Amino acid sequence: MNFELSEDQNSVLTALDSIMSKFDASGAEPHPYVYSRELDEALRESGFFSIAGEEGFSPLDGAMVIERVSRAPQVVESAASILIAPFLPFDPGTAPIAMDASSGREPIRFLPIARFLVTLHNDHVSVAAVDPAKVAYAESLLAYPYGRRGSSGIDEVATFGDVDLVRRRWQTGIAAEAAGCMAAALELVLDHVKTRFAFGRPLGSFQAIQHRLAMAAETAEAVKWLAYKAAWSDSSADAALAAGFAQSRTAQFTYDLHQFCGAMGLTLEFPLHLWTYRLRALAGELGGASAQARRAATSIWGEAA
Amino acid sequence: MSETMLEFRERARTWLASNVPAGEAPLDGTAARQFALDWQRRQAEGGWAGLSWPKDVGGCGLSILEQIIWYEEYARARAPRSLDPMFVAINHAGPTLIACGTPEQKAFHLPRILNGKSLWCQGFSEPNAGSDLAGIRMRGRIDGDDLIVDGQKIWSSYAEIADWQELLVRTDPNANISAALTWIICPMNVEGITVRPIMTMAGAQKYCEIFYDSVRIPVSNIVGGLNNGWKTAMSTLAFERGTASLSLLISLTIRIDEMLQDCPDDRPQMKERLARLCARAAAVRATAYRVALDSEEGVPDSAGSIVRLGFSELVQSTAAAALDLYGIDGPEVVGTHGLGHEYLDSFSETIAGGTAEIQRNIIGERILGLPKGPR
Repeated sequence: MNFELSEDQNSVLTALDSIMSKFDASGAEPHPYVYSRELDEALRESGFFSIAGEEGFSPLDGAMVIERVSRAPQVVESAASILIAPFLPFDPGTAPIAMDASSGREPIRFLPIARFLVTLHNDHVSVAAVDPAKVAYAESLLAYPYGRRGSSGIDEVATFGDVDLVRRRWQTGIAAEAAGCMAAALELVLDHVKTRFAFGRPLGSFQAIQHRLAMAAETAEAVKWLAYKAAWSDSSADAALAAGFAQSRTAQFTYDLHQFCGAMGLTLEFPLHLWTYRLRALAGELGGASAQARRAATSIWGEAA
Repeated sequence: MSETMLEFRERARTWLASNVPAGEAPLDGTAARQFALDWQRRQAEGGWAGLSWPKDVGGCGLSILEQIIWYEEYARARAPRSLDPMFVAINHAGPTLIACGTPEQKAFHLPRILNGKSLWCQGFSEPNAGSDLAGIRMRGRIDGDDLIVDGQKIWSSYAEIADWQELLVRTDPNANISAALTWIICPMNVEGITVRPIMTMAGAQKYCEIFYDSVRIPVSNIVGGLNNGWKTAMSTLAFERGTASLSLLISLTIRIDEMLQDCPDDRPQMKERLARLCARAAAVRATAYRVALDSEEGVPDSAGSIVRLGFSELVQSTAAAALDLYGIDGPEVVGTHGLGHEYLDSFSETIAGGTAEIQRNIIGERILGLPKGPR
């Protein structure tokens, strides 16, 4: 087992860091969401979004990019573009992609900015071109652009049969994105408790706070490695476990982090909510933690499970 | 339950059935103010205002058991949440004035509160003093017949629509905290006060930041005596941790019952999760009733912290379960009154009114008698 990054991976992440540093430092406007076309374009033009399909690279490298990108206060669609788009029989180019597994009732994450919609059906996957002008924008507090399918504006352009590939990559993307959000949120809170004083001491010196943040760190770390393992093995079981673990820990993780930022952490003037919103949105994708647990059980122990 | 109590329950149920306002209460702004004042006025006209307040100040003087029955019926009738813009007036300011106010203060303010004519906010927390009230720095100095206050308060709910504020300032910079603070009734419409609403992540402008620039308040507005504000404030906080959240707790138990009913049969794990919440709610409710009944005489004791802690964590678990039960449905649950708002708003439960950590410290030190930790 080797957890060391390869030379190529180090180079990729270093290059990515140099792009991301501009965006990490810039403020994010929370309303109505924080989709950054500038960051989106910078990443697509630099080739980061096609990395998982490049010679010598794999979905694991893609998951690392997603994790790093998701730490930014701004939102971009990266998971589907990196982990799913290069493997579709139809080449969607370098455009944002929205994912849907529903009956069409729920609002779909990224639909208002997407050029393609990938829909997971029971026995096949369909790819449709999206006309953003015809998507009904859905108001949201969850920091992602959401939209509903209108009666027109979405035209199917291709179908293919590998449902499992799309589902496991989607799950891996959820976990990698959650890992990035968790890492960024935790870093923000750690800075806060080191510098905020109560009862004459830094908040972070209280054991009650240290213990809960230690548990939060354990969650963040575990989510990251589960995401990487799922991307590396590209197995259905690992992907379901990674997404399900991230989703099942979201509520506790976000409650723990907000707890130590006091009332300030509940306002839009403190950036923690940006990652709280996104984690909550991710926690509900693909049916949430319970659905992922059932899929993991079926993958590992078969239908009887 | 005695015949008298059954009759009382019937009377409460009947009145609520024909008087609970239709529609949701607005979350903030003047609409929220008007809604809260109207509802308070209607309760006063019906003889249901100030249930726990003594009759000689205009209250109902109900026994704790009667109050519990009222809260049960109130929740069942889906009456407006009691954690509304009137909450501070009814549950903090009123009881504090009853306990520590002068006859003039009581005669002026209590009828106005009961009859829905004035709205109060709290002015305790500061940018560097939240859970740690001893960290209060905002100054007040006596100048003739006035106390002049300068500084800043924050996290004051509904301050932009309030008429009065229970304000805690440091009047003796050199004294120990127990003799350094003064609790004073601050009018919100005087010169020198600037209120800035703060948008929360749940999408409401509930909290406010308040700036005071040489604000003059008559010393006759001091409650409980100059430099005696710590003691006055502590009695107010004890109310917040005690009986004040009973109706919210009962509403929550009803909510969990409804969620169980809504849970489809093919989701056994969700049913189990909700059943566990149901058991937790029953436990918190039993404790709350015990604490409430024990507090029949006087101010609720530290046991209120057990209720507050159990309740606040139950609210969060229930809000999280509700989203999982009904489905994220993306933004559909995130309208201003939707499940998403409720979920994001629940984050404040373990922070406002004394954090969960402070409640645990109180339980550890005052109830269990453990040695005090380093502060």
